[in-house]
Amino acid sequence: MIDESLLNYAIDYALSSGAKYAEARYQLNSKFNVIVRNNSVVGLGKYSVEGVNVRTLCNGSLGFSATNKLTREGIRDAVSKAVSRGKALSRFLKKPLVFSDEKMGSASYEVKTKKPFDSMPLEEKTRLCINIYRAANSAVKKVKVPVVFVKYLEHVEKKIVVNSDGAYVRSRTPRVYLQFNLIATHQQRGTVQRLIERGGSGGVELLDKWDPLEVARNEAKTMEKILMTAVKPPREKVEVVIGSEVVGLIVHESAGHPMEADRILGREAAQAGESYVKPEMIGEKIGGAWATVIEDPIVPGSYGYYLFDDEGVPARPRFLYKEGVINEPLHNRLTAKLFGLSSNGAARSMDYASEPIIRMSTTYLKPGDMGFDELIEDVKQGVYIKSYMEWNIDDVRWKQRYVGLESYLIVKGELKGLVRNPVLELTTRSFYSKLKGADRNLKFYAGTCGKGEPPQSIPVWFGGPNTRLSKIKLGVHA
Amino acid sequence: MSIEKGELITEKLKAKFDEVATLIYHVREVMVKLANTQPSVVQSWDKIDVNLYLAKDKRLFLAVLSVKSVDEIVKSVENLSNYALSVKESEFYAPLPETVGCKPIDNIFDEEIARYMDDPSPLVELAVETSLSEGAERIAGTIDLKVLDKTLITSKGFKGIERGSEAMIYLRTFKNGFSGHWAHGCRHIDLKSVEETARRAVNYATACKKEVRVETGKYDVVMSPLVVGNLFNEVASMASAFSVLTGFSIFMKHKIGDRVASEKLTVEDAPRAAELAESSAFDDEGLETFNKPIINSGELSTLLHNTKTAKKMGSISTANAGWIAPKTWNILIKPGDSRENEMLEEVKRGILITNNWYTRLQNYVEGQFSTVSRDAALLIENGGIKGCVGRVRITDKFSTILRNIDLIGEKQHLVKWWEVPTPTKAPFILVRKVNLSKPT
Repeated sequence: MIDESLLNYAIDYALSSGAKYAEARYQLNSKFNVIVRNNSVVGLGKYSVEGVNVRTLCNGSLGFSATNKLTREGIRDAVSKAVSRGKALSRFLKKPLVFSDEKMGSASYEVKTKKPFDSMPLEEKTRLCINIYRAANSAVKKVKVPVVFVKYLEHVEKKIVVNSDGAYVRSRTPRVYLQFNLIATHQQRGTVQRLIERGGSGGVELLDKWDPLEVARNEAKTMEKILMTAVKPPREKVEVVIGSEVVGLIVHESAGHPMEADRILGREAAQAGESYVKPEMIGEKIGGAWATVIEDPIVPGSYGYYLFDDEGVPARPRFLYKEGVINEPLHNRLTAKLFGLSSNGAARSMDYASEPIIRMSTTYLKPGDMGFDELIEDVKQGVYIKSYMEWNIDDVRWKQRYVGLESYLIVKGELKGLVRNPVLELTTRSFYSKLKGADRNLKFYAGTCGKGEPPQSIPVWFGGPNTRLSKIKLGVHA
Repeated sequence: MSIEKGELITEKLKAKFDEVATLIYHVREVMVKLANTQPSVVQSWDKIDVNLYLAKDKRLFLAVLSVKSVDEIVKSVENLSNYALSVKESEFYAPLPETVGCKPIDNIFDEEIARYMDDPSPLVELAVETSLSEGAERIAGTIDLKVLDKTLITSKGFKGIERGSEAMIYLRTFKNGFSGHWAHGCRHIDLKSVEETARRAVNYATACKKEVRVETGKYDVVMSPLVVGNLFNEVASMASAFSVLTGFSIFMKHKIGDRVASEKLTVEDAPRAAELAESSAFDDEGLETFNKPIINSGELSTLLHNTKTAKKMGSISTANAGWIAPKTWNILIKPGDSRENEMLEEVKRGILITNNWYTRLQNYVEGQFSTVSRDAALLIENGGIKGCVGRVRITDKFSTILRNIDLIGEKQHLVKWWEVPTPTKAPFILVRKVNLSKPT
């Protein structure tokens, strides 16, 4: 850890150099990973990267500078660059940048583990990864699973955020992540591929909860069934029921991203893109009564969990869309000021070398109260898309596509045989307007979300219940 | 951190490990981000990371550590050697190669870039003024300048040091509700390239003029170097032998010599292309790099190997280490003989896609993918641009795209941005009968 007086030195030096606002963040990202291919450990990895960044506002111009030279000289050099380069560019500003006034956090918190990382011997961790390959192959008869590639990751993130407005937030967040890629093949019927991800904050108790061997067996069995029995999806319009995993992804892409206020205001226009939402559209309708999407950093155990953001602002749940209405964007202090609001604590950064920008944490569609059987009982003909592989969405978060992997025909309220690669291609308005029901089975899935210049990858959860859409025409993959 | 410290780390770790490689990166970088025609932030970095490759009893360990004292670095990884008792021998293990020396690459560092890092204002001014004078109403983009010092020491006696620079200019301009873009990435800074990037971006925004409708179906598609760069970043990544071994490659179904593309297509991995930012004289294992075709006149020519994947697949290293996964250095698409406007004239009814993003695959082995156009996607009829089709999606198989390449441009462009992370030198390419889709 760092000598904390260096952070206060950074603030003082920035202010004495002409900054009106200064912020310093120490961050350590410490990781241990295991890489396994089939029944062999490819290698083990250790990653321990720490440093400090400073952000300054001088003449309304924002400077950011990061260094891992954790000496007084290193910090002073970083501050000088943020201040002097910010000042030099202030002549191009038509409108100086200003932060919103906020009540700053003063806190220290830590995510507790039930089972610390070192309570599980390395042999057990590698055995678990290798057994994923064995479990997948033991579950199939007519196909082979020739390649299983597993990544296991333990991650501890430590941060100290201080700023000239009085923030002091110190945090420690341990996380576990498991990813495996399964390929199932049949000589005549080709291949099917499935990428599984699990992630959360906590310790290795998460592995017990995830039960990856059972997941591997079930997924492999399903892949076998897809290869051997799946048929093309119906060509006519049908009702579509979407599983939690797909719903979570859809709300992340079509509610979370377009409701990031920096996109709405054009700050991410260059590469990450903008939003179909414009500032004057807050309060407009985008869908029906089932369209309530919540963004909540404080869901216990979540992969993107935090209590205070990287500007020192307390985190809280935000209702992005509320009963079909565009409601509350995600804000940092810059965008909040421009909207005339307070920040809702959405500034996050990947590591010490990354600028805090507006990010999601846990994004989900509000569940209903019925069971899955009730949700589909009156579907005469439909398709249930439970999982996916391919997806994408355009740069204003309007036109999007999700290609189902585990997908079933629904006939008279019952799941029947599998359908192969049904394509759901629709607009954001179409999705939220077609929602007509949701069950109570709220589930979350882990992902790594990319944004920023340079790109920043951060851990997130997304989720939702099984959700029913009114009739739509599905496509078929080329 | 000096080469002497790298040697000391390597030497000290040799007491605990059979083999050691120490790769030190010192990055100094400045990025000005533009939004709404003004700087939104200027970011600066000065950081040193120490990367370690450690082998003991044929077990492999990797580490990335922030700069610290030599003793702290050694202390923080030496206990990894204890893990050798807890895991079996790696099926990927192969010894580090013997040192044979390598010829340096000239002209990969530009002093001008280091100077502009101290004051990037002239570049910002040029990008903004050129865009506005060409007719842009609003400008976004990044101007990114970098100097990278790279030092590699291996326990087999290799010592390599390289200083390189990079300038990456990306501009997106808006006009009448439409946008255009261009991206440029090079080892050198060149004011003409900044102007040209701005001009191209504004020209595409201007070319949109009006919105026209197209339906889902097959179209002849002219892909700009940005689109070519994005798709061939995927193809080259799938040529890494590690991608083949782990199920992330269309080349799992092929052997060397198979026809995988139009005979008009030659794609190289080009570590010796000095103008591209990942050019390097040596790979991470200390082997001398060389340019090599991945696809040569339509045939799969080689996978990209380090010593590990080469041993596993009965081949030899192509000097593409990555200690575990071989990596592409730079991508070079061999030019054809078509001029840009002649290529458009060859299209009866098709689309010019100038930019894309979000390329995702349903199945890497089968190569089923889709990607979304952004900025200007222009309808071409009888060689003329008729308007902007909005955002459309290429939804096809890589094998189909590769086989249906018909014309390749004579001019190559230096491209790098978010969606083209591996520096690429690419021309415009005309692909026939590409499947495009839109929401119903």
